[in-house]
This record gives sequence, C-alpha cells and structure tokens, in this order.
Amino acid sequence: MSTLVLWLVLVLSIGVFAAQVATRVRLILAAPNTFSFDHIGLRARRFLLDVIFQRQTIAERPAAGLAHALVFWGFVAFAGYTTTEFLDGLGIVDLTQTAWFAGYRLVLTGFAVAVLAGIGYLLVRRAFVRPVGLGTTVSAESIAIGLFIATLMVTFLLTYRLADESTAGRINWWVHAIVILAFLALIPASKHFHLLLSPITIFLKSPTLGHVRNLDFEKEEVGLETVKDLGSKMALDAFTCVECGRCQVNCPAWGAGKELNPKTIILQTQAALLAGDREARLAQAYTEKALWQCTTCGACENQCPVGIEHLPILIGARRGLVSNGDAPEYLGAVYNHLERRGNIWGLGYDQRQKFVESAALETFDPAQHDVLVWLGCAGAFEADYQKSMRSLFEILRARGIRFGVLAKERCTGDPAKRTGNEYMYQELATGNIADLKAAGPKKILTSCPHCVKTIGDDYRQFGYDVEIVHSAVFVDELLRGRPAKAATGDAPGGSVTFHDPCYLGRYAGKVDEPRRLLTQFGGDIAEPERNRENPFCCGAGGGLLFADKEEEPGTRISDVRFKQLRETGAGTVVTACPFCSIMLKGAHASAGAAGGDVQFVDLMTYVKDRL
Amino acid sequence: MKIAVCIKQVPSRDWHPRLDDAGTWIRESDATYEMNEPDAYALEESLRLKEKHGGEVVVCSAGPARVAQVLREALARGADRAIHVDGEALAGADAFVVAAALSAAMADERFDLILTGLQSDDQGLGQIGVVLAERLGLPHATIIMDVAVESSSIRVKRELEGGWFQWVTMPLPALITIQSGINQLRYATLKGIMGAKKKEIRKAAPPDGVSPRQTIVGLYVPEKTKKTQLIDGSPAQAAVELVRRLREEARVI
Amino acid sequence: MILVIAEQRSGTLNRATWETVAAAQQLAAASGPAAEAIAIVALGSQIDGVAAELAAAQVSEVVTIDDPALALYTPDGYTAALQQVIAELAPTLVLLPHTYQTRDFAPKLAARLERALITDATAVKPGSSGPVFVRSMFQGKLTADVAAHGPEPHVVTFQIGAFRGDQAGRGPAPAPIRAIHVTIDAAAIRQTPEAPFQEAKQSVDLSQAERIVSVGRGIKGQEHLPLARQLADALGAELGASRPICDAGWLPMDRQVGSSGQTVAPKVYVALGISGAIQHLVGMKGSNVVVAINKDPDAPIFEIADYGIVGDLFEVVPAMIAALKT
Repeated sequence: MSTLVLWLVLVLSIGVFAAQVATRVRLILAAPNTFSFDHIGLRARRFLLDVIFQRQTIAERPAAGLAHALVFWGFVAFAGYTTTEFLDGLGIVDLTQTAWFAGYRLVLTGFAVAVLAGIGYLLVRRAFVRPVGLGTTVSAESIAIGLFIATLMVTFLLTYRLADESTAGRINWWVHAIVILAFLALIPASKHFHLLLSPITIFLKSPTLGHVRNLDFEKEEVGLETVKDLGSKMALDAFTCVECGRCQVNCPAWGAGKELNPKTIILQTQAALLAGDREARLAQAYTEKALWQCTTCGACENQCPVGIEHLPILIGARRGLVSNGDAPEYLGAVYNHLERRGNIWGLGYDQRQKFVESAALETFDPAQHDVLVWLGCAGAFEADYQKSMRSLFEILRARGIRFGVLAKERCTGDPAKRTGNEYMYQELATGNIADLKAAGPKKILTSCPHCVKTIGDDYRQFGYDVEIVHSAVFVDELLRGRPAKAATGDAPGGSVTFHDPCYLGRYAGKVDEPRRLLTQFGGDIAEPERNRENPFCCGAGGGLLFADKEEEPGTRISDVRFKQLRETGAGTVVTACPFCSIMLKGAHASAGAAGGDVQFVDLMTYVKDRL
Repeated sequence: MKIAVCIKQVPSRDWHPRLDDAGTWIRESDATYEMNEPDAYALEESLRLKEKHGGEVVVCSAGPARVAQVLREALARGADRAIHVDGEALAGADAFVVAAALSAAMADERFDLILTGLQSDDQGLGQIGVVLAERLGLPHATIIMDVAVESSSIRVKRELEGGWFQWVTMPLPALITIQSGINQLRYATLKGIMGAKKKEIRKAAPPDGVSPRQTIVGLYVPEKTKKTQLIDGSPAQAAVELVRRLREEARVI
Repeated sequence: MILVIAEQRSGTLNRATWETVAAAQQLAAASGPAAEAIAIVALGSQIDGVAAELAAAQVSEVVTIDDPALALYTPDGYTAALQQVIAELAPTLVLLPHTYQTRDFAPKLAARLERALITDATAVKPGSSGPVFVRSMFQGKLTADVAAHGPEPHVVTFQIGAFRGDQAGRGPAPAPIRAIHVTIDAAAIRQTPEAPFQEAKQSVDLSQAERIVSVGRGIKGQEHLPLARQLADALGAELGASRPICDAGWLPMDRQVGSSGQTVAPKVYVALGISGAIQHLVGMKGSNVVVAINKDPDAPIFEIADYGIVGDLFEVVPAMIAALKT
C-alpha cells in the first residue's frame, strides 16, 4: 500500500517537475543558438572553482556564501542517500541494510549538521536581517524551501532516535520523502531552478567580461527587438537567476537611486519568455529609461554567482532601439560626431594634428618604433588629458622607448558598441583595423582603458589579434626599481586615493600595477569603498558621458563616487582613465565648496612629477 | 506631398587639402567624402515634412559616380528614391552648370517642394538652390529656420541678420534653402541601411552645351592666421588693448 | 560702368553698402587710365533719405527705384526691378554686399540674366583678362582666385568686412540723384512677406546669440554675477555659464553652454574664469572669436582662444567695461 502511495506521489511530483522543466527547456531551445564552447580549459577551470568550490558565491559574501556552500555540498552528499531510500520505498531494491550504507549514513551526519547550521543562518538572514538585494518583501517561497531543507536534515537526524518500523519512524520517513518530492515539484518555477541550471550557465558564460557578440548584418540581425530575438544563453540566464541581488547592490545606477536594477532586467526577461508572446517588444518589458541608465561597468555580470551575462541583454536591447532610430537625443548628436568626424567630440581632425605636432609625435613605423601609442578621442582632443599624455611621452622618452602614433585614428567605437549602434561600431572598428594592420605594430600602448577593451578584446571578433597594454601596466614594468624623487612643482604628496577605472580594474583585472606605481613614487594609498576588481563606476561608461542630465530618479553616479573618494580623506585623487577624470572633476566642480580641496591627478602625471 | 531634396557630396571635414597638378582644383583621388552638412539638415527637414504630411522624398545629386555613396546614405536615413545626375565634370562645376544639370533631371518630376542646404562646404557658392528655382520657374525663400505647409502654400521663417526673422508665404510648388541647425539630425539606423539597398537610384545624364560662368584660375592654402594672442600688461592696459583688438582687428564689436 | 546695389530696410541704409562702394571705387581705379563710372542703385519705397545719404559718395550718380511693390523685400520684386535697371544702365559689373538679403536674390538675378555671379569675395586682384576675385573655399582650408566668364555684366558680392566702409571715397559735392521708373507686376510677386520680428526674449536661446559672455568657476560667488552681467550689457551680449555655475543654481539651466547644455556659435564668445573642460569646449567651438580671461595660464581654454588675458577677471572686467564705454 505505502509503496503504491509513494509511486503515485513520485509520479505526480516528477510529472509536475518535468512539465515545468519542459516548458523552460523548450523556450531555451527555441531561441537562436548563442551557446559557445570556446576556451574549454578556462571554462572547465571556472566550473571547478565556481560550482564545486563555490568561489564566487563565497568571495563577495563570505558568511552567507559559506552557509550556501555547506547546503550545496550537503545536497550533493545526500544524493546517494535519497536515491537509496527511494529505491527501498518504491520496492525496487533495499540497500539500506548494507554495511556501506551504514558508513555512508554516518558520514552524512556531519553534513546534516553543517547543512542545518548553514540553512539556519540563511533563514535568519532572509527573515530577519533582510539584506536589500533580496528584495523588499520576504519571499514566502524561500522561507518554505529553507524550512524544507531544515526538515530534511532534522528528519534524517531523527532516524537515529526513532526505530524504522515504529509509527513515529514511519511518519518521519514519510515526512522526509514528501518534502523531497514537494521540493522537486517546486524547483523549476522558482529561483531554485538554479540548482539544476547554474552549473550549465556557469560553464557557458563567456570567459571574458562584457562579451557582446557582433551582429551579423548578412543575416539581417539588428539586435533585440522582441522576445523571439533573445538568444539561447539569454533564455538560460533568465531561468537560472537565483535572485540573490549581487548584481543589484553592485550596480552603480541602482546605487545612485536610478530605475535600473540588473536583477529586475533578468526577471523581466524570464517573465517575457514565460508570457509566451514572441512578438512582445523588449523595450516595453524593460522600460527604455532603465536600459539607457547602464554604464556597462560590468559589476552585475562580474558579481553574478550563477553565470548570468547581463550586458549582452542590456546592450542587445539598446541595439534593438538604436536600429529603429530610438536612441536618446544626446546619443544622436554623438553618433553624428562619430559618423562625420570619427571622434566623440565632433571636433576637427586638425585639432588632433595640432597636438601631434606640438608633442613632436612621429608617425608609427615598425622598423623604428618599439610601440604604437594609441591616443584615443581624449588623448587626441581633450586639452586636459593631453597633459597626461605628455607625461606619458616624457616617461617613455626618458627610458628610451621609441614610439609613434597613427597618422589618423578613429574612435575605437567603444561608445557606439556599448550604446548599441552596432553599424557605426563595425564601421569604425573595421576602418581602424585596416589602418592598424597596415601600420603593423606588435604592441599598442594607450592610456584609455576603454580602448584597451575594444581593441584588445572586441576587435578579436574581426580576427584582429594584437597586444594592447594600458600605460599603468607598461610604465609599471618600465620603471620597476627606479628611484623616486620629491615631487616637482606644486604636485601634492602624501595621502592619495586611487579610483580604479571599471575597464582597467574590473575588465582587465589590472589593480596591482597602478598601486605599485603609486607606492613606489611616494603615495600613501587610502583605499575607497568599492575598489580594485569591483570599483564603483564614475558614471561615464555606456555613452552616459554624453547624457545631458542623468535620468531621474536618483543622483548622479559621479557624485556618489566622488563622495566615496572624498570620504577616504585623501587630498589627491588619482585616476587612470580620461573619462573617469572628466566625470569626477565634474562632480567635484558641482559639489562647490562641499567638494573640498581635492586635486585630481592622472597616474602618468603623478609618476612623471616624481621620476 | 512630393518632396525633393538636393544634396551634394563634399570632401570630409578632416580631409587635408591637396591640389591637382594644374593648381586649380583639389586632387579628388586623395579626398574622403561625406554629405554636405547643410544638405543633411535639408534632408532631415524633408523627412520630417514627409512624416507629418505624407508623400515621398526624392533625393537628388549631381556629381561623379562616387556620389552614389551619399545618395545611399540619404536613402538609409529615410528618403524613398534617388536621382543621380552622373557626370565626372560636375564635382568642380559652378552653380550655373550644376543647377542646369539638376533642373534637367528634375523638371519632369513636378515636385511640390524642393529643399536644398544653404550652401556647400566645398566651393560654398550658396547659389544652386536659388538658380534651380529660377530655372524651374518656382518661387523661393532662403535661410529657412521653420517650415509650415498649408494646403496649397508654404509659410517659412527666414533668418535675417542680427537676430531678426521674417515669415514668408509662397504658393506651392516652391523651393527653400535650409539653414543648418534647423533641426536635430537623425543618424542612419541599421534597419534603414538594410532597406536602402532595395531602393531605386535613377541615373540621368547632364545636358549638353552648358558652359560655366566662372572658373577657378588659382587655388592655394591661405596663410595661417589663427593663433592665440595673449595680451600682456597690467589688467587695465590689457583690457583696453583687448577691446581695441576686438574692435579693429576682429571687428566683432 | 560699375553698378552698386545698395541695401536698405524701412529707409535705413545697411552700412555694408559703404563697403561695396569702397570695393567699386578700388575696381574703378584699377580699370584703366579713364576710371570707370560708378552708379549706386537704391530700391524700395520712400527711400529719399537713403538716396541722399548715398549721394555723399564719390560716384557719378545715385539711381532710385521707388515703388510701393518694393516696400517689403521680395526676391521676385527685386529681381524684376533690377533686371530692368541693368538693362537700362548696361553696367560691366554689378556689386553687392554679401548680406542675407543678397544671398536671397542675387543668384536669381544672375540666373535670370544668365550672367556670372561670384559670391562672398574678400579681395580683387588684376588678372590676365579682367579682374579675378579672391574667395575662401573648403571651409577656409583653401583660397581661390576666381574669374568670371560670359557676357557682361558680371555680378559680384563682397564679404562683410572685406572692405572698409569708412574708407569709401566721399565726393566734393553730392552726386546727382535720378529716379528710374520700372514696371513691377505686383501679381507676379509670389512671396508674401510678413513684418520682420525679433524672437521673444523670455526663453533664452543662446544658440542664436551673436555675442555671449560666459562665466565659470572663476567668478567665485553668485554675488559677483552682476559684474559679468555689466560686461554682457556693455557688449550687447547674452550671459552664459559653464556647468558648475548652473549646477550650483547661480544661473538657470538654459544658460548652460556645453555638451550638456546649449551649443552656441556667436561672433564673439568671452569666457570669464572658465577653465575649458571638454564638455564646455564642444558646446562653443563654433564661436567665431573666442576671448578667454583666466588666472591659470595652463587653462585649456587658452588652447582655443583667439585672444587671451592671463589675469584676475575682477581686475580685467571692470577695465573692459570702462574701455567699452569710450
């Protein structure tokens, strides 16, 4: 009788489970295939670290992460136990009386205690501590699942106290079995689907941050307009989301009180897929306002423990808008500048030529020069940043590095790419690649982290592979062991704080080089909140440098960051990106007297003044 | 409404001038080209008028084969079809010749409204629109900052000097030349670029026997004048000197 | 004979006409031992005052066309009238100042006559067969010497400021004034012009301003803004500002110049205490003449300024205001 009941409940549970899984798998498979298996070694390594060893989960939130790891490892450990018990209960085979099972059970006791401790911590955190990333209301479903897990452990431990054949023992067994089957039925429609999907999602996540596939114009791809344009990895991402809110709390737009919440974007994707209307417009699912608030700083994607890639969705949806002419007005002006002048400012080419002449720069010749210096839109046109370029040139010349520049440069296309103007990006990129190939540098040096990402990573999709280094990295290696002297002129000394540019710290992972340079040349670094590989964005990325006014609600992202830097008490803010520099100086100027007496120095100028 | 917009292809702004061997024209093979900026505003205005009043926008250009590039660009931005008066000599021709070429190709179309840019960024003659109007027998108005189409007439806002404006009404068909900055230019969208491939470009031959009324007998790089003049002296002296130079040198006050 | 077409509006002579008279006198002097005669034609309605003013010039005569159909300028009316005057006077050259009004009708007139029109000339040089006219091309990257062809008259317009109006020769006695009657078919004038107007002042449109005085952080405090305003008044300029000033609420947002504010292209842009951050520069790079006053000699604004004073704006500006009033 009880065997039959168990069979019935099992079939029911598996039926519910399978039907829901099938719906979701069908949606994933119906989407255009965007799964990629390149760099298999890197993917395997990450799978081991982030799935098996729960690195990412523990790294950002050690206590909660460890608690989660205990539950995860316990789950894996219990797989054999559950299977054996069900085989017995279903009358297939009884292995519960074997000697190995007794030993296994004994080992599991330790796991059970660990899981109980872990889930107890997580339950208290969710129900009473209520971190903001988990949402404004306490999820009843999450509490139920937590209690389920606790119940499973308690019922397991009770088997030591209750005789198998006693009534209490039978009830205990049945509670355990029913909870498992109920859990099974709940999994696919809840965030606990990540139990099954996250190992796959993590494996399929691109090895590089912010990897956004080029559109194929031959196939008439225009970006994400409707639900049917979402790629298979995006659909997988949507069903994998565990709603932990790491993306949310690390997002600078959300942090500045704006509408954008990357977690919401993923959940809206999930809802749009499940709603079943393949022609539904994604801009409506997400709201255009939120889409244009993303700085593409990459914090969401980088912090996600289950392998979700937010940027292809955010940028893809922007592409869908831009392809139809629905970009915000300020970007229309930038696009016209890029289209007609090849730089973001819309300034004349003669302005760059003026700088090239006044800085006595030679045109790159591989026979004569060690390295090609890429000026970028800031280096070529922005008077303030040209000062730091001159500092770099001085350092290079002092160390005998021979360098040249291209006769003509276009913008790398970074702002076009990140704002979804793929056509313009590809125009700029292919033009630059042709010029770079003709010039033939082995190594490119630039002071712009966005250029590093675009030339060094995005251009690979066109088959152009070149070594490009940021000046912080190049100069760190160049000056290793060189003595510092007292600062020249009125350059400030003492306490400095370093603002990691997102595209240098987070994207390129270069966090030690600038710090080594600062320390070597007498800087006493006061670290700000949010630093190194997880800095808080200055607010310039993703085309927002050009936004007239950042959209309400909320404050300017740059104001938030400036305040964080100000709170270090350092009198000098060092940056290593022209756009961070523009944004932070702007925030300082806007703060007026409240901004205090802060000096902004580019890393290259800081070093040059003390060399 | 059947709208025509005349555009010109001109050397791009970042082009570094090189002269031909005769020293009377540029070395065209060295130049990169783009749509004349004032014409881009005229195109934008014509697209806005079409969006508001319906009809079609036909983009017209006179020049060598390379001109097809800006015609495609205009089609990508939303023009419906194009007319290309194809002639190698049209690139450096004067207004008399270019307007004759355009009018010959456009006359039979019987456009309700023709728009051009105020002037071109190459020779900068500022004549073609008005001459074209005269050849086609149309009334015209120039330096237009606002356009209101009424049933069989058009009311346009002319820019006068010194911050003055004037509304002028003319019967349709008519021709207007558009002031830069009248609108915010749209950018070419991916969808537009894809759609442009399927749109028609009609080729026309320039008429014979039109001789130019002016020729360039010499072309040269002007002496550089622009450099920052830093004015020294005491604040009072410097201020007086600055005002003097603004009055007498720059003549802006 | 050289014919100068004067420009007037509502009985007020456009002073650029004097520059064209100066150009005509230079051309006449260079035309050979017997200098060519110069006539000035003024057209409109009730223009006796204008004609009398022009008669002071050293020219052979002033011709007037006084017709109610010409009271308000229209290209159709002007073309019809001038076509008849040119037929009657048979000049070799027709000269005009390159004003907005000239740009509106001169190409039509030349096309009607099927004659050459050279626009926006800055100078005249002798050529192998008649004068050649110098004009800027390709956005000022190149300068061209241009020769006119075909039957006379050739029509030439001169850039404002290319000749000095105050150096136009005045005659010992007023030149004779002669009225010519033309027939203008009022029904053939297709343009119906309305009265000229200036934009209402309440909303600031800096993009249309001819002169702008802009303040930056160097102004230090809101209490110093009247100083900048006084300079603006003395120059007949609008007041603009960089982002920090508007962020601080010292001036409303519609005064902000730059990528996040308005894009401006005045004849003269005076930057007071503005360092010249790139977002500001892209908003005012189209200015014809840029004046920078800043304490910091390294301020980027000096890179693009035409005139610069390195100094304290609180000392320089009052001196400028005083100098402007003399």
